[in-house]
Amino acid sequence: MPDPLMYALDAVAYAGIFGMLSLSLNLEYGYTNLANFGKVAFFMVGAYVAAVMARMKYPFAVYALVASLVAGFIGLLTSLPALRLREDFLAITMIALGEVMKLIVKNEEWLAGGVWGLSGIPPAVVVQGLSFRERLLVQIALIYGCLVACYVVCELIAKSPYGRVLKTIREDELLAAAYGKNVFRYKACTFALGSAVSGLAGALFAQYIGTVSPYMFEPTVTFSVWMMVILGGPANNTGAVLGAFLVEGFHRSSRLLKDYIGLPLDPINLQVMLTALLVITVVFYRPQGMLKERITPLDRGLLKKLKPMYRRVKTWVRS
Amino acid sequence: MALIIYFFLFSPYRWWMVINWLQVLMNSLVWGCMYLLATVGLSLTYGLSRFPNFAHAEYITFGAYMAYMFFSILGLDLYLSVGLAVLSSALLGGLSYILLFKPLKSRGASLIHLMVASIGLGLLIRHTLMQVFGGGILSFKMIWSCIFIGPVVTTPLLLTAIVTAFIVAILLHILLMKTKLGKAIRATADNPELAAASGIDMDRVSLFTWLLGAALAGFSGVFLAMRSSLVPLLGWKVLLQAFAITLLGGIGSFYGTLAASFILSLSENLGVVALTWLGLSADYRSAVAFIVLVSTLIVKPEGLISTVKRRA
Repeated sequence: MPDPLMYALDAVAYAGIFGMLSLSLNLEYGYTNLANFGKVAFFMVGAYVAAVMARMKYPFAVYALVASLVAGFIGLLTSLPALRLREDFLAITMIALGEVMKLIVKNEEWLAGGVWGLSGIPPAVVVQGLSFRERLLVQIALIYGCLVACYVVCELIAKSPYGRVLKTIREDELLAAAYGKNVFRYKACTFALGSAVSGLAGALFAQYIGTVSPYMFEPTVTFSVWMMVILGGPANNTGAVLGAFLVEGFHRSSRLLKDYIGLPLDPINLQVMLTALLVITVVFYRPQGMLKERITPLDRGLLKKLKPMYRRVKTWVRS
Repeated sequence: MALIIYFFLFSPYRWWMVINWLQVLMNSLVWGCMYLLATVGLSLTYGLSRFPNFAHAEYITFGAYMAYMFFSILGLDLYLSVGLAVLSSALLGGLSYILLFKPLKSRGASLIHLMVASIGLGLLIRHTLMQVFGGGILSFKMIWSCIFIGPVVTTPLLLTAIVTAFIVAILLHILLMKTKLGKAIRATADNPELAAASGIDMDRVSLFTWLLGAALAGFSGVFLAMRSSLVPLLGWKVLLQAFAITLLGGIGSFYGTLAASFILSLSENLGVVALTWLGLSADYRSAVAFIVLVSTLIVKPEGLISTVKRRA
């Protein structure tokens, strides 16, 4: 007898983990216009580092930190060649990186368990004498603690002068460079930070599921995260989290639909087909997402001041 | 270091004698031809429409599945079913341009939105195919006799692939260099505004390129599937190589793609030799493509063709 409450709580936990991925992508794509189509690679790196270290009985705080550092470092290293070029080069490199990372994990059995993956990862918080439901609640508390921390960090970045530089880079790289900002360094830092957050999400995922295998990290995961950000609204952190909940709810309900209505379709196929159709529709009719980017009064004042200067810089550059 | 090189060359285990180098060259030739067919369309549409079409991989898969449907399920003649598969693949490419990418571009969608839409389209096609044909491994159930040319082993299928790729390359050369349409394609890829101002019908040129590219991709899919087996990830598995070739050859340049296909396939096959020598899994052959891709971005982001003097 399946427990509907457990199913709902599981969905909530998943939405929390994917909310972190969505926040990190929002930082990269929404604020800085970096096309990271290899989100799943960093998620996977985080999950595997966490899995290996958790099996060696390290505490959660240590392996979560190491997982995010390793993911951030890989993100920094692999994005460097493409960051100076157009967005599409980064997108291609990152898609390729996702495949190569999966290849490494599949082939290095001594490290990552090969195609069978690693199992028996202990949960981060072990409290004796709890029922299955209560343990799930503890997990949710941990995941949402991390989610809130990430949300606060992203929101602080977005509101800070640093975030305004990122938005300027998104709108016009030339302008940011003309104001003496090192565009390349800002992009690289943002990419590393986004990858580190994905690594943390991966660590949470690994200890929540208790097992990792290469087949959990298909490119469709990246696509789901993109869907969350685009649906929720790029450059809006609340929108990114909202998008994570909506997409996760959508996935779950499409699976339930299959069970209760009995469509003659495979649930995974149905889910991916519907998601793809939905994302194409959103890109077509509402590319700004559900929640629009908020423009703060400070931004508005700055915009008013900057516009004439911007025009002058542009004419100066053109001449 | 000198010691390592000494042992590498003069150790009693003469590893370079064990390897059949002619076979390695032959494999590179075969794979280069397959890559050429698979990649030309991607490179041309990338140059013309100015965004990487990630759904290109699914045109490859779609062509293979259509050939399977016509040949194995409907029981048509082999050549007829391959022709129909190529046609339906071209139709898919043309439809995806007319129904999705052209309207998106005219709405002023950003580069990233176009890429996201193309990934979405790719997933839609792939999972529709999985729904219709099942996610398992299918096979054309053909047995190829081996042909021995000296020390080299090959099959009639691979020889056909080589001949086809050469014919296609010559036809493409004639199309791009000798006809008015080819001139229009090159002009549009070079400078869209100037081409439009010169009275080139951009819609017609773009549509033709998308049809052509998807048709060739479907053709390569048929060869890839007949060579081994038919799986839903058939196209996705060569997408990484296709992008490495596109960037190495220079986006939108046919001759660059031609050269880069053979460079990549040769380096992949040499990479496999090196991998077996190092005792690593031969699965890492796609990592060679990744290395080529990243080093292209570092050393020469504009691709090979800028080194060759462009003819007017």
